[in-house]
Amino acid sequence: MTDSPTSAAAGAPPPSGFDDAGFDDLVTGLDRWSGSLPDWPPARRVRAEWEEVAARLDRARRELSRVLVVGVIGGTGTGKSTLVNALAGRDVSPAGDVARPTTVAPVVVVARDVDCSWLSLDGVGARVVISDSPAVANIVLVDCPDPDTQGPERESNGSAPPHRPSDTNHNRDLLERILPACDVLLLVATAQKYRSWSVAREVAAFAPGRPLLFVQTHASRDPDIRDDWRRELERQGIVAPAIHRVDGVEATRRAVAGIGPEEGFAALVQAIDEELVGRAARRVRRTGALDLAGWFLRQAKVHLDPLRQPVAALGAGIASQRGRLEGLMGNAVAGKLKASRPAWQRIMQDELVERWQGGPFAMFLHGIASLGALWPRLRAGGLVGRVLAGQGVPHVPSGDGAWQSIEEVGLSEAEVEQSRSILVGLAARAAIGEPMTGRARLDDSAVQVSVGTLMERTGNWLVGGIDRLVAQRRDRSDSPLVRTACELVFSGVIAAVLGRAAWNFFYGHLWMGRPVGGLGFLEEALVWIVMLGLVLRFLLFARMRAGLDRDIAGLVTRLPGARLVDPFLQDFATAAGKVSTFLDAGDDLSGRHEALSARIEEGRSSLGRLKGPVA
Amino acid sequence: MATPGFPHSTAGDSRDPPLPASRYAAWAGSVGELCQLVESLTPLAATIGAPPPPDAEWYGQLFGKLRPQVIREPVLVVAVCGGTNTGKSLITNVLVGGEISRSVPEAARTRCAVASLPRGLAAGTDLAALFPGFTPRPWSSGDDALGGGEAGDDLLIYRDDPGGRQPARLILVDTPDVDGTLRENWQRAEAVRNACDVIIAVLTQQKYNDAAVRDFFAAAAAASKSLIVVFNMVNWPAQRERIAGWLATFNAETGAAPLAVYAVAHDFARAEAGTIEFFPLPELTGGVAGAAGPVDLAAVLAGVDFDRIKLRAMEGAFRVVLDPVTGMGGWLARMEASSRDWQEARKVLAEEARVRVELPSAPRELVWSEIWDWLEPRRSLVDINLSRVYRAAGRGMAWVGRRVGIGRTAAEKQDDFATVELAALKQALAEFIDRLDGACRRDPRLGSLLGEILVNGDRASWYADLERRHGELPMVSEDYRAFVRGELDRFSRENPKFLQVLLTGLSLGSVARPCITVGLMVAGAAAVPAAAAASHGLTTLVHTAGDYVVWAVAPLAGEGVLGLTMAGLKPLIERLFAGWSAERSRVLTETLHDVVLGSTLEEIDRRAGAAARPEVARARRLLHDCGREFSR
Repeated sequence: MTDSPTSAAAGAPPPSGFDDAGFDDLVTGLDRWSGSLPDWPPARRVRAEWEEVAARLDRARRELSRVLVVGVIGGTGTGKSTLVNALAGRDVSPAGDVARPTTVAPVVVVARDVDCSWLSLDGVGARVVISDSPAVANIVLVDCPDPDTQGPERESNGSAPPHRPSDTNHNRDLLERILPACDVLLLVATAQKYRSWSVAREVAAFAPGRPLLFVQTHASRDPDIRDDWRRELERQGIVAPAIHRVDGVEATRRAVAGIGPEEGFAALVQAIDEELVGRAARRVRRTGALDLAGWFLRQAKVHLDPLRQPVAALGAGIASQRGRLEGLMGNAVAGKLKASRPAWQRIMQDELVERWQGGPFAMFLHGIASLGALWPRLRAGGLVGRVLAGQGVPHVPSGDGAWQSIEEVGLSEAEVEQSRSILVGLAARAAIGEPMTGRARLDDSAVQVSVGTLMERTGNWLVGGIDRLVAQRRDRSDSPLVRTACELVFSGVIAAVLGRAAWNFFYGHLWMGRPVGGLGFLEEALVWIVMLGLVLRFLLFARMRAGLDRDIAGLVTRLPGARLVDPFLQDFATAAGKVSTFLDAGDDLSGRHEALSARIEEGRSSLGRLKGPVA
Repeated sequence: MATPGFPHSTAGDSRDPPLPASRYAAWAGSVGELCQLVESLTPLAATIGAPPPPDAEWYGQLFGKLRPQVIREPVLVVAVCGGTNTGKSLITNVLVGGEISRSVPEAARTRCAVASLPRGLAAGTDLAALFPGFTPRPWSSGDDALGGGEAGDDLLIYRDDPGGRQPARLILVDTPDVDGTLRENWQRAEAVRNACDVIIAVLTQQKYNDAAVRDFFAAAAAASKSLIVVFNMVNWPAQRERIAGWLATFNAETGAAPLAVYAVAHDFARAEAGTIEFFPLPELTGGVAGAAGPVDLAAVLAGVDFDRIKLRAMEGAFRVVLDPVTGMGGWLARMEASSRDWQEARKVLAEEARVRVELPSAPRELVWSEIWDWLEPRRSLVDINLSRVYRAAGRGMAWVGRRVGIGRTAAEKQDDFATVELAALKQALAEFIDRLDGACRRDPRLGSLLGEILVNGDRASWYADLERRHGELPMVSEDYRAFVRGELDRFSRENPKFLQVLLTGLSLGSVARPCITVGLMVAGAAAVPAAAAASHGLTTLVHTAGDYVVWAVAPLAGEGVLGLTMAGLKPLIERLFAGWSAERSRVLTETLHDVVLGSTLEEIDRRAGAAARPEVARARRLLHDCGREFSR
């Protein structure tokens, strides 16, 4: 043993055979998926189809081991009843050429010991007959009415159509009530009827999830058309590995006379025995169920595929409308920030003064700042103004005021409504509408909430952005070098003035005896000191202010990352996300179904099945 | 050999006068005109949701039978029809006396109509016109019949009668099946059925009561085609007794009364050799059971009374067209009903698609300066000097205002105004779209027409268009200038005494807040007395109705109060302001009309007016006249 068990398992192809647990998972997944988006009409449609399919899958699972019900279907006069009689070994269903249609009520053939009480064929007038024939010992055979003698539904255009005998013919209606109870369809055709449109229509409706057996009858009269029939079936999306060819009349004669069957009929009986009985029945049910799930997924794909592009377009539309609104907002916010120079100045000054303590120039700056603080600060209006003034995010007024309160950040009711109106159109293309998304015009409560969220987010974003911006600038001016230089220059001048004053006093007055020069010099010196201080302060702030516009522009480019306008388009984004998730989940389930199908592909029987859509 | 009930050409003993083709040639004018009317109405009928006429029996008879045959040299068309694999081609070949259409074991293989023509007929006959919808192609081999293409590529293979015994005016046509899975085969068979006079119905014990087969022959019976029934593949004579029952069912279901019934035995060897035999069953058509020997069906066909059968078929066709319920009249009624539904839809649209545009107050100096310009030459020197003083003072005040940051320049004011105005227009557009959505939900017909625009239209480009138009709109257009001068001229002509009043009124600031209603299909809406009247190429279906309100009157000078109350002045001022606003809002109607709706409104109008079209009335009249003449 060289390989470890784990590596062998990983490298080996998946084991073939039916994966019950995997199929159960798939069914659970399909159930959850189909019901996961009830607000989206295409998903509702998928759900409605699923509910029909689910009932059948559920029944197949519950009744996995009971005998199969084989429905015999075909055009009138093709010999369905004759074939049923041959299989039953006696005349159980009227057959003949006296009048068409011959069979007007279904005949159910069961073996003596088979309990078919579960077979619900109420209201179709079915007649149950017991047969001891070995051919039907382990199946339930149903001789169905034909689909081709009942006329098309007439539209009532006011005038009663002329009465015809066939107006009372409901064979097709009966057939369509019987076939849902059948597990397998035995399709009977003759050279005249294997290309019948009315039969093809019924087969297309009932073949999903039901394996098919094909029999050409009237073998003694008609040429062999099986190859051409197979081509026709392929055109209808049906694979037919085997088609039997029998003569029902001859087979009945032999069965009644007790003679051994002819070759074609024996092959049909053998096929029934091998493909539809015992373990094979379980396999038929399981593969039928898997095929049914596959058919459901294909149908769902047919409904959903055309919507993929519109859903993607909606996603792109949301992105582009978000970009448009953010652009408007960015311009307005940048303009507002640039226009608020005094506010910037004050922020920077507060910031700098707070950090510079000690030293004569610092004291000078404090002095100027406290002088400025004597002026009452005007109550700033608007979001940007309040944020710059450090006054927090204003409260959102109700009614029209809500819109007015965000006009300064470039958003207006008209702009938001324009974006939403465009998105309503894109959403409609993807079959998305109310209640998944709202209308173009937001109602009052939505406006209140959205504007509130926008204000709060914008306020927080602005506070953060401005803080960062100011901190950067402060750090630029707050280097020890600049600080030392400023302090040195300022202290130097003060020192020079004080030195000069001391010289005048000690040397000039006390030593030389000159009169005291008075306060004139000090006054003059003070003016010079203040002027120097102001110049230094101006240079300092000029340095801090330099490139502010560029930095504001930089701040605004980071606006999209903050997702500020999302509240206005939230319903569309959520809906598009949900629908995309739904489509992806469907793809995932299709992949899982394919994997399950691949496992059993090799073990397929000779029964026919619906493989794809009609070519 | 005479078959009872079968009209034979018995030249000598007929008591009826000869029945020349001229009897129905007289209908040629009516038929031609009816066809023209139907053709001109068909596209309209299709758009308003009336059933497409080509699906109807009457259409097939009118265009497939009456129009091609009413004026032509009468020929008798015999068609062999039936379900798949019933042996139509085999029977055709036997009747022709040579292989013209290949007969194969597989079903539904005959894809083309195959016609056997009497010698010399092909040269003198326009087959394409005689069999509308088909492309005639000369025969090259029996395989031609198998090679038909997809739907729409409908071939008519024709060959001169190989045996040379076909009567001079008889055309024999083999047709594709009427019940197979290829629907184009059905349509080809139906087209031949419409054109023919005699149908050889090929039935079998499997296929005499199928719904598809029944419906096909019921339509033939309704159009009075002469029917010959051939039961093929009969276990002869074992099933002979059954045939009466089958035929009774067939007749009861289709309403047919066959002229003759034949049985063909199921005999593979004879079929292979092309020597099948037709056993007559005269007792089934009211005759006496005769000798059981086979007959030559081709000879029987040759001996029928062409003219009587032809006339019967033509009359039958016309009867189908004239039927008040299922014929052309019924179609016209459906069309009128659909048209009424569209009228309803138009009403819904007029109710729903109406939006009030709340425009911002007009910058009053724009309107006033137009009025000033008009007044300037009419004022006295004192007035002018006085007003110059006022203006200078006003300018000074404005300058101060601007300096302290609470005043705006005129250009800034106009920009502000334009921004607010554009927002109002955009909002109106959004509301309009929303209302159109609502109208579509209310009326599915509107949904069918407008849904495409609303769902697949590029809404972003609508807004871009509105912005572009608004951007291009000058604050005061030449149209508006002309309008103001006209209004003022008219006013001063009518009220010469009030000129002075007008002058004093000018010191007033009258601010009109306009409210413009933009609506679709508003019947009798009061058109705005504005430059909108001079709108370029605007449909009359998009109205701008100006219901404006004077929002505030702010007197600047005491004497002005007096002026405004004077009769005539207030309405004038209001009109001048409203006209300006209406002209501004015109960009919205232009966008709606040119970009959003396109020609949809005209289309709705056209559909709503379909029933009132002269063609409908003319068709009704013609049908009535023909019906009266026909019943005489």
